[in-house]
Amino acid sequence: MTIVLVLALGVVAGIMVGLLGIGGGIVLVPAMVHVLHMDQHLAQGTSLFILLPPIGLGALRQYWKAGNVDSRAGILCAVGMILGASIGGKIAVPMSTPTLKALFGGFLMFSAVLLWLKAKPAQPPAEAPGGAMKESRA
Amino acid sequence: MNRQIPVDAGVLLTGVTGGIASGLFGIGGGVIMVPILGLLLGFSQHRAQGTSLIALIPPTGILAVLAYAKAGYVSWQTGLLLIPGVFLGGIAGGALAKRIASGKMRRIFASLMFLLGVYQVASALRG
Repeated sequence: MTIVLVLALGVVAGIMVGLLGIGGGIVLVPAMVHVLHMDQHLAQGTSLFILLPPIGLGALRQYWKAGNVDSRAGILCAVGMILGASIGGKIAVPMSTPTLKALFGGFLMFSAVLLWLKAKPAQPPAEAPGGAMKESRA
Repeated sequence: MNRQIPVDAGVLLTGVTGGIASGLFGIGGGVIMVPILGLLLGFSQHRAQGTSLIALIPPTGILAVLAYAKAGYVSWQTGLLLIPGVFLGGIAGGALAKRIASGKMRRIFASLMFLLGVYQVASALRG
């Protein structure tokens, strides 16, 4: 029964990832904490483990085909991330569970605001001169 | 002066910031990197998202996972069970996204996320 729940949870989280172009972790961590009743640290560690394989590869292909990937910037970001993630992990692990839980809650609210801001009507792509006429909003 | 150097430095710092959020909160980091690339470094929304996705292909969280694992904070079984669902769900979500007004979806999801954040803080304060 729990296995079915966990599998279903993965599918729901994945749908959100593909649908909204956001990371799986922001969905997975609260889901594990509130649905599976896991400890905040355990949920975060498990989420990081889930994110190790390149689960965004399918989505990346779509962006790549449309020429919307800056690989130089992507590689630089990845280098920075390896460093940053190790710093973040070292800060989070010794933290008390209530502190981390509250901090994560604040981060959720902050991310929600960012996500809401992004929801504003998309401007027509200014850097595509000549392509503007073909642009049809779905 | 090459204009590329300050941009590269900004991008590298974006990665470090995304990485800190990733290790600290157990997330991918894209949710932080996409807005920074877009709002501060002038990337278009699509290019910011595509660039964030390529940065998330290598296992950048490996050092953070090791730190959590050493403290016993990784449930390997739950993780392995969630991976196929997330992967398949991602494909389904990507296909679904083409048929749904994403602006409205984002707002509904952002509202739910904000409420979840409030709930999370409240439950942390209650102990």
